[in-house]
Amino acid sequence: MAPLGILRRDLLRYLRNPLRTALLFAVPLVMAAVFALAFGGGGGEQISIKVLLFDEDGTLLSRLADGVGTSPEASRRLDLVPVGEEGYAMMEKGEASALVHIPKGFTDDYLEGRPTTLEVVKNPSERFLPKVVEEGVGIGGIVLSVASRVFRSELQQIAQLKRGTSFPADAAVAELSAQFNGTLRGLERYLFPPVIDLESVELQEDATETDSGVLGILTYVLPGFSIMGILFLAQSATRDILIDRESGMLRHLLTAPVSPIDFLLGKCLSVFVVTIVGFAIFIGIGLAAGIRWGPAPAVILLMLASSLAAAGLLLLIMSLAGSERQGDTIATIVIMVFSMLGGAFIPVSQIPGFLRPLCAVTPVYWSTEAFAKLMLNGGSLADILPNVAVLAAVGAALLFGGAAILGRRIRRGAV
Amino acid sequence: MIRVERLCKSFDSLRAVDDVSFEVAEGEIFGLLGPNGAGKTTTINMICGVLKPDAGKVLIGGKDIWLQPKTVKRSFGVVPQEIAVYEDLTARDNLRFWGSLYGLSGAELRSRIDDALTRVGLADRADAKVKEFSGGMKRRLNLCMGLLHRPQVLLLDEPTVGIDPQARLNILEVVREVAASGTTILYTTHYMDEAQDLCDRIAIMDHGKILTVGTLDELTKLAGEAEVLKLSGAFADAAARSRLASIDGVRVLKADDRVAVLSIEAEGPGLLAVLPTLLAGDLEVEDVSIQRPNLQSVFISLTGKELRD
Repeated sequence: MAPLGILRRDLLRYLRNPLRTALLFAVPLVMAAVFALAFGGGGGEQISIKVLLFDEDGTLLSRLADGVGTSPEASRRLDLVPVGEEGYAMMEKGEASALVHIPKGFTDDYLEGRPTTLEVVKNPSERFLPKVVEEGVGIGGIVLSVASRVFRSELQQIAQLKRGTSFPADAAVAELSAQFNGTLRGLERYLFPPVIDLESVELQEDATETDSGVLGILTYVLPGFSIMGILFLAQSATRDILIDRESGMLRHLLTAPVSPIDFLLGKCLSVFVVTIVGFAIFIGIGLAAGIRWGPAPAVILLMLASSLAAAGLLLLIMSLAGSERQGDTIATIVIMVFSMLGGAFIPVSQIPGFLRPLCAVTPVYWSTEAFAKLMLNGGSLADILPNVAVLAAVGAALLFGGAAILGRRIRRGAV
Repeated sequence: MIRVERLCKSFDSLRAVDDVSFEVAEGEIFGLLGPNGAGKTTTINMICGVLKPDAGKVLIGGKDIWLQPKTVKRSFGVVPQEIAVYEDLTARDNLRFWGSLYGLSGAELRSRIDDALTRVGLADRADAKVKEFSGGMKRRLNLCMGLLHRPQVLLLDEPTVGIDPQARLNILEVVREVAASGTTILYTTHYMDEAQDLCDRIAIMDHGKILTVGTLDELTKLAGEAEVLKLSGAFADAAARSRLASIDGVRVLKADDRVAVLSIEAEGPGLLAVLPTLLAGDLEVEDVSIQRPNLQSVFISLTGKELRD
C-alpha cells in the first residue's frame, strides 16, 4: 500500500504544479521546434539568392548576364537586381548576398581576346549564398574563356564588325555564321552525345512527407529530444528523494509504518510511471504534428524500455549524490552529455570518430538508434529487440543499483 | 507504555546518547528537557525506529520497535522537529497521503482529516497550498499528521520551535487535550516553561546523558530548594575565584572571567548573610540576579550552566 501511496502523492504533486510540469515538457519540445525551424527550411520553401548586378559595360555579353535571371526556374531562386555605384553601399548594409560587377569595356576586351575581370563582392554575414554566387560566376567565366579560345577568329570578326560605323553587310554576317557552324561541326564529335546526362526526377509529395521541411527534421530530432525530456523528468522525480532527505520528510516517513524498501519501491515506481507518462505525451505531441513513430507495439516496448533506463540512470546518480544541489548538477551534466553523445542533437554519424565508441555507453544512443530504425528505415519490432533488451537490462541494473545504495544509506541512518 | 533501556548511540567519536533509560506510564506526559545538542532528538529518533541504537532497547506497549517495526509504528505518532510537509500540496492532500500510510481511506479518512484540521484551527485552510501557510500554521499541520491515526503514543520533538506565541499556545492546548484522552506523550523541549507547565514528569538531559528524572516538585527539591545567584563582574584571576569558594554557605556552580553562578546552600547562613560578604569590597561585582528554585536553577545546579547556553 505504501509504495502506491507514494506514487499517488508524487503524481498529485505534478498535477498541483502545472507550471513546473509544463516547463519540464516545454524545454525539449521547444528545443526540437527550434531545431526543426532552423534546419527544416520552413516546410521546404525554396531559398532565393539576392544578387546585385552592377553592369558598367551595358553591351552584348553583360546583357546576357542580365537575362540569366529571367528564366522561370532562375527567377524562383535568383533575385537579380540591377544597380549602379550605390550597389556597394547596399552591400555594406548587407542588403544582398553578393554584388557582381561587370566593368566597362568587358565585351570589347572579351571579343578582342584581352584578359578581363569580373568582380564578385560577397556579403560576409552570410555563409553559403555568396559562395553559390561566386561559384556560379566562376563557372560562367570558365565557359566564356573556353568559348573565347574555341571561337577566337569568329569573335575577332564580331569585334571588327562591331567597330564599324555602319550596320554589317548581309554577306559578312552570313560568312560569320558559316564559320561558327563549321567550327561547331568540328566540335560535334567531342560534344555529342554528352557522356553524362542529367535527369531531374520530381518525387511525389507523399513519398517525401517525412523527409522534407520541418516535419522531416522533427522526425530526426523529436525522438532524441523526447528521450532527453524523459531524462529531465526522471531527474525531477528522483530529485525529490534528496529533497525529502534534506527536509526531514524521509525521516518523518520512516516513523510511519513504511519500511525503507516500501519507500524505495514507491519512488522507483513513481519515477518509472512519470517517465512513461512523459514519453507517452511526447509521442502524442509527435503524432499530432504528423510524425510517424512506427508500429505501435514496437514503439510501446521501446517507450517502456527507454523509461526504465532513464529512471534507473537518474536514481543511481541521485543515490550517489551528497546533496540535492550536487545531485542536480551532476544529473544535468550527465543528461546533456549523454543526449549529445547519444544522437539527440546531431546524428551519431556526425560525431567525431574518437568519441563514437562512447556513444554506445549512453541509453540515449540505444533509444534514438531504435527510433531511427522504426521511423526512417521502416523497421519492425524484431529490428529493435536488441535495443530494447539493452535498455531494459541496463535500466533494471541501474535501478537496482541505485535502490541498493539508497537503501544502505537509509539503514545506516544517513537520512 | 514506553520503556527505554540503556540506549547508546555514537557518531564517530561523539557519544550522542549515553546509557539513557527511562519509562513513561500510560497517559503520562513525559518531558525530555535539555539544551540543543543534549541528545534529545537522537533519543527520539531511536525510539521511533528511524535510527538504530548502538546498544539498548526500546519497548512501546511491550513490543520492541526494532523487532516489530510496522506493528509498533502503527501505535505511535511522531511530530518531528523539522516541518515535514509538502509545500506544493494542500493541507488536505498532505493529510490524505499521511493517512493512507496508516491504511486509512474513504469516508473515515475524510472525517479524520476534517476533525484533525478543526482541532488545530486549520479547517478553513484545508484546501490551500501549504506554501501559503505561516510557520505556525505549518507546525500545526505537522501536529495534525501525528494525530491523524489516533495513536496510543505521541512523540513530539520540539514542536514549538520558531513559531509565534499564539500558535505555540494552540499546540500546547492540543497536546493537553490529547493527553487528557489517554494518549501517552513523550515531549522534548529546551523551553523550561513548556516542560514545567505541560509535563507530569521531566528528564533533564545534557551531553547525551539523563542527569535526573522526576516531577517538578521532586526536581526542585533535588536542587535543595536553594536560590541561585548569578554575579556579573571580574572573576578572571584565581584569587577572586578562591575568594568566592571560601564564602560560607555558597557552592560555586560556574565561574568564568565575567560571570559566576553560585548556589546558596539551604543549611548554610542564607542569602541575606551571604550577600554582604559578596559585596564587601574585595570582589568586583557589578550586578547580582537571584533565581528562585525552578527547572532553570535545577539545571544550573546539575550542570553549572543555564539551559540556553
